[in-house]
Amino acid sequence: MQSFRLGLLGLSILTLRAEVSFNRDIRPIMSDTCFRCHGPDKSSRMMNLRLDIREEALKPNRAGVSPIVPGDPDKSNIIRRIFAANPAQIMPPKAAHKELTEAQKRTIRQWVAEGAKYEGHWAYSPVRRPAAPTEGNPIDSFVLARLAKEGLTASAAADKITQIRRVTLDLTGLPPAPDEVKAFLADDSAGAWTRVVDRLLASPRYAEKQALLWLDAVRYADTCGFHGDNPWPAWPYRDYVLRSFRDNKPFDQFTREQLAGDFLSGVDAWTGSAYNRMTRTSAEGGLQPKEYLAKYGADRVRTTSNVWLGSTMGCAECHDHKFDPFTQKDFYSMKAFFADIKETGLVPDRGKNAWGSLLALPTAAQRDELAELRARIEEMERRMAAQTPPVPAGLLDDVKAGKLAWQFPRPLTAASQNGSKLTIYNEEPLDSMYDFRGSLVSEKKPGHGTIAASGPNPDNETYTVTFKPGAGKWTALGLEVIQDESLPGMRVARGADRFVLTGFEAAVNGRPIPLVLATDNVLYPVPEHPVMAVLDADPATGWGVTMYGEGRNVFLALRLGAPLETSESDVIAIRLRHDSKYRRAVLGRFRVAVSAATYAWPGTTAIGSRDRKTDEEGLPEEALAALKVPAARRTAEESKALAEYLVWASPEFQASEIELANLRARRDMLNAQIPRVVYSDRTEPEITRVLARGNFMDDSGEVVKPAIPAFLGKLPSANPTRLDLANWLVSADNPLTARVFVNRMWREFFGQGLSKALDDLGSQGEWPTHQEVLDWLAAEFMLPRYQGEGAHAWDVKHLIRTIVLSDTYRQSSLPRPEVKAKDPENRLLARQNRFRVDAEIVRDIALASSGLLVEKFGGPSVRPVQPDGYLAALNFPKRDYSASRGDDLHRRSLYTFWQRSFLHPALLAFDAPTREECAVNRVTSNTPLQALVLLNDPEFVEAARVFAQNTLAQGGGSLSQRINWTFQRAVQRPPTAAEAQVLTGLYRKSLARFKASPERARQFIGVGEAPAAAKANPVDLAAMMTVTRAVLNMHETVTRN
Amino acid sequence: MNPFDELGLAITRRHFFGLGRLGIGGAALASLMAETVERDPKTHGLTGLPHFPAKAKRVILLHQSGGPSQLDLFDYKPQLTKRQGTELPDSIRMGQRITGMTSGQSSLPVASSRFQFTQCGQAGTWCSQLLPYTSKVLDEITVIKTVHTEAINHDPAITFFQSGSQQPGRPSMGAWVSYGLGSENENLPAFVVLVSQQHSLNVDQPLFSRLWGPGFLPSSYQGVKFRSGGDPVLFLSDPAGIEKDTRRQMLDAVNKLNQIKREAYGDPEIDARISQYEMAYRMQTSVPELMDLSKEPDSTFEMYGPEVRKRGSYAANCLLARRLAERGVRFIQLYHRGWDQHNDLPRDLALQCRGTDQPTAALIQDLKQRGLLEDTLVVWGGEFGRTVYCQGKLTEANYGRDHHPRNFCMWLAGGGTKRGFTLGETDDFSYNITQDPVHVHDLQATILHCLGIDHKRLTYKFQGRHFRLTDVHGELVKPILA
Repeated sequence: MQSFRLGLLGLSILTLRAEVSFNRDIRPIMSDTCFRCHGPDKSSRMMNLRLDIREEALKPNRAGVSPIVPGDPDKSNIIRRIFAANPAQIMPPKAAHKELTEAQKRTIRQWVAEGAKYEGHWAYSPVRRPAAPTEGNPIDSFVLARLAKEGLTASAAADKITQIRRVTLDLTGLPPAPDEVKAFLADDSAGAWTRVVDRLLASPRYAEKQALLWLDAVRYADTCGFHGDNPWPAWPYRDYVLRSFRDNKPFDQFTREQLAGDFLSGVDAWTGSAYNRMTRTSAEGGLQPKEYLAKYGADRVRTTSNVWLGSTMGCAECHDHKFDPFTQKDFYSMKAFFADIKETGLVPDRGKNAWGSLLALPTAAQRDELAELRARIEEMERRMAAQTPPVPAGLLDDVKAGKLAWQFPRPLTAASQNGSKLTIYNEEPLDSMYDFRGSLVSEKKPGHGTIAASGPNPDNETYTVTFKPGAGKWTALGLEVIQDESLPGMRVARGADRFVLTGFEAAVNGRPIPLVLATDNVLYPVPEHPVMAVLDADPATGWGVTMYGEGRNVFLALRLGAPLETSESDVIAIRLRHDSKYRRAVLGRFRVAVSAATYAWPGTTAIGSRDRKTDEEGLPEEALAALKVPAARRTAEESKALAEYLVWASPEFQASEIELANLRARRDMLNAQIPRVVYSDRTEPEITRVLARGNFMDDSGEVVKPAIPAFLGKLPSANPTRLDLANWLVSADNPLTARVFVNRMWREFFGQGLSKALDDLGSQGEWPTHQEVLDWLAAEFMLPRYQGEGAHAWDVKHLIRTIVLSDTYRQSSLPRPEVKAKDPENRLLARQNRFRVDAEIVRDIALASSGLLVEKFGGPSVRPVQPDGYLAALNFPKRDYSASRGDDLHRRSLYTFWQRSFLHPALLAFDAPTREECAVNRVTSNTPLQALVLLNDPEFVEAARVFAQNTLAQGGGSLSQRINWTFQRAVQRPPTAAEAQVLTGLYRKSLARFKASPERARQFIGVGEAPAAAKANPVDLAAMMTVTRAVLNMHETVTRN
Repeated sequence: MNPFDELGLAITRRHFFGLGRLGIGGAALASLMAETVERDPKTHGLTGLPHFPAKAKRVILLHQSGGPSQLDLFDYKPQLTKRQGTELPDSIRMGQRITGMTSGQSSLPVASSRFQFTQCGQAGTWCSQLLPYTSKVLDEITVIKTVHTEAINHDPAITFFQSGSQQPGRPSMGAWVSYGLGSENENLPAFVVLVSQQHSLNVDQPLFSRLWGPGFLPSSYQGVKFRSGGDPVLFLSDPAGIEKDTRRQMLDAVNKLNQIKREAYGDPEIDARISQYEMAYRMQTSVPELMDLSKEPDSTFEMYGPEVRKRGSYAANCLLARRLAERGVRFIQLYHRGWDQHNDLPRDLALQCRGTDQPTAALIQDLKQRGLLEDTLVVWGGEFGRTVYCQGKLTEANYGRDHHPRNFCMWLAGGGTKRGFTLGETDDFSYNITQDPVHVHDLQATILHCLGIDHKRLTYKFQGRHFRLTDVHGELVKPILA
């Protein structure tokens, strides 16, 4: 048993070789148990002894004792200490909780006896292309040679159905279509497999699958991550990643664009530079900018070093790395590369400066139209700014007397179209709770005309309210939107994260009242929902407000086309339409108002001011302040504010005001359609210092310049940039990038990396099981030579193609006893692996099998159905989720809106990372919550329903044909007799149940918004649905074999 | 010796969980590793754990999110009335950072507490008039006046408290505990999270799923959030039209189909899948049973107060916490928000206490009368404390307080902690610790200790490092242990 050694890693059991290798056998042990105190970090080094460098380890100490005497274990102090019987002497010390096993001790002893030969860490040595046999795929040669050494053989190829399901899932994330399976089964020619692979590689679905790994690594998400976790413009970067994979962009260019796109030309490269901005950002009130800038910078170092270097440089933020030769200075030198990115510590999440530097991505037509609109608006604004209408006599007195104040008539009736319950609170007391200057007020007071909605909460709704304005001559109608804590949608709407009023119509005694100009008092207008859109003819557009930061009730003023005279008995009816695509973006509480004044500006009601209303309203605050200043003493600004208001209010400018308002609305809506993305904008670099123990308040540290980790070399430029960093990452001088990428890609096709530690190729990582395979593929990735016709340097598709064309890949995954006995983790690849597919693919398989899947490449993120109240613990602002409509409910899961703090529950249940941090190794768990998702999540129940509809319509006439059809769609193979029997039994039992209570059948088939089958009998459909639901819940359906 | 016996002995189970994608469910481990059982077959806890006899079998963590004011609750500073309105001395502030919300204030005037303090119980623990019910159970409690933390803003501070790191991606405390100790109830998750609905008059700070997330541990260890509306656990209810009998038929069919493959492939992952479906099925019964309060006697409702009948209230969640503890759930995490009194503190803190004081004290009493307090550790507190100086305008009747990470109060009861004890001293301004500092990592180490876990030995290898809840810090707070 002399040759048998047992490393800490189970793997080492397989390395039955005579000589100890430092890298394979010793470094993993020492790194784990010795280097913490006797390794690279000088701050925690004990007894000034370093064991990671040979010459240090051989130096005798002051007493003349050598830690290691090559060839003489008995004279070597480390051997004496690790074998010490005395607990006070033994190494590692008890307190370290790092015991060496007897086998590990023997290994170290043997290594010293054999001369204590050190080796440079494998991953830091240059990539050399190992010699490969000229025949066949080198992957197979290396794998077979290794198996032969261990006395094992490879498995035969998997059956053809398993092969095509495997490769289609691996390459595209979707199961193969029935005709694709059929074609492959029928094709016995030599190139059949290659043709399948090339077809799949050419599909855009390939990009939709491969992008997943990258999006996790670069922590792409649709929200900013900290505190309020608000949505930010990021999806164009996701599309950039998708296009890059689809178009097989060379990985070196891909790298340069993401790290340094702002140094390159072209919109694509600039969009790629959003990579630098995917770090979580905070808008939490009271944060210290410096502290957060430090956090953002550190995140970039952690992410970049992990994504490209497979290294855990994050450990060196506070001290030198304990196991790898990264110094603390390396960490800050790396951070210095990013010091030129323009950003603030508090990244605003609303308003004009929201999210800092944004790149607009208009089409040419959009750009032209926008320019034209802008020019017209500017011209009109200039013209109107030149007007200085006289201040009407007595205006200030009128204001003070309350003559401009809005009046709130008491509604007579309030009715809804789709079932919401509307209650009028005139003098009746109303419970309310609202935010007043940062704290909540709770009160029960007369509603003074408030209408409150409750009960059923439809996605779209129309309210009709009637009231008698009394005798008078009216110039404007108004609408006060009342905030209340009880309303889940931004405290104003009954859902969603906004209200959207798509239409406001008014009539007196049934006669329409023309409304010509809409004005609001919103502080943070939403470009998508300009106020004039409430009056336009388009039923989809409207006045919408997200309310975040408004801090007061917002108000809509609608000017009448002509003054309206009413008598005591006249009744005005107004209709409020909520027909936008946002679900439940419907007002919760509001009041209607009228004005008889010529000049009434939207009421500036503070929240809760219903009883504290000042009479001095009807003017914008700035104009009112200016009006109170005697004309001669007004500043230019005050005069301007006043003039703007008067122009707005003067009948003679009304036509121009309307035109201008419409132009602005068109501009805003056009602007809202133009995609934007956070990206890297360069500025003068901030000074970067080494922060002692990572403390952002410590300004005493050494100032550092951008530099790559010192032990990996030095860049030629005296002042290197991010572009230099990117160039180095993909240069032959860097031993890591290609290995890291290849290793992670390997996981996509075998379920685990060649080195299992996908996030760490450093000394705490794992010696790769097949270094020749890893290095050969890394070399081949950088510079194709093997069947490389048409391939280019850093060719991702070539890399993947080479892997999946190997016999190793095509092997059966069925376990074999002799393999299981010798290699329980299947590290030597005597067979393929079987694993559950990733979270997104779990849902995509259900969508694809059922026929629900809607394929559309790229575009804004979508919101599939998710449970009510799932975002209830979020705040700043308080919001509700509004699921998408129609096709967007059934898009591939990678397009799902990625809310970092509360990721979509079905994705979270299946181990999708939140992407708050860089994630390169999804673990795969198996939990009861997953069972509940597959069984009961309405999305999966809907899939079962549509699957059943399609089975009944297309799956043949007999039950066995239908079961067969269902099975083939989900797992691509026909059921065995036993399986068919189980499903037949289930169908029969369900049918009997549902026949006995057809009402239950109707309920069951009512799930989901996808169209129902017109002709299906509910009982048959429900029974078939239990079959499809069972099939979608099979382990095999979500497993890649 | 057969080398593979030795292999079985040597592979620690963390390497199995390090498998990444080729995950193996807990149930399957035993079959794969015939020679050694790495997880206790019943609890699925790590073998070798607890490291030493545990005093506590479970934890109830009553997290008061926002930062309760230590100055108005437990840290009595009578000297401050004399200093009311005077500037916080530089000798006390010592240049420490303050948040962006008050760093722009021209003055940092001392605001003494408006509330009366009395010494309560046999032990004479100081407590403010805001907590009349808690003051009656203080003899069961250890108050620590000197907890301190590293972050000064909510998001990083609460993340730090729950996971030992300000950075996301680390397992939460409950995830560590369920990873280490497993579950004592095979029908309920080991780690349950309850977020109470607001009843207060304060703007709530947001919460995030990472606070009960598994971090880098497999997601089987994440906290399962019990919801206050709709399904108590996401997707627990059968689809409309499906009832218990049809549910079972369907499940039997799925299990049979999986069993057929299991026999053909010998894949232990399929066994795990089958057992998870069974667990889900059991949860469909056990969770509604847990949530059903109809069999509780009237005395229970009286004890927890009027709000207890309102699902999702803090009181209802305190009662649920007791019911979960009774059923052996390992880690029960409550979140209650609304402790962020930047302004109107006298009014809003009083309201906040009115909504929480009675149910909190009732939970202690209830656990005690059922003999559960012995082996249940209850922890109360927030992510930081509040400043002695006033935020906003200081008047005789009104003040607000900003975030203060340098010292704050928490309390613990049961589970091997001392009864009627107070630890730590702060200076006259409750601004600096003068004696017995307790870092959040120390507290975490102590919570684990009560559960029989050596915090230095519960580790998980990720990114090349053996991570633990307490990072590389954490000292046991021995004086509070009974």
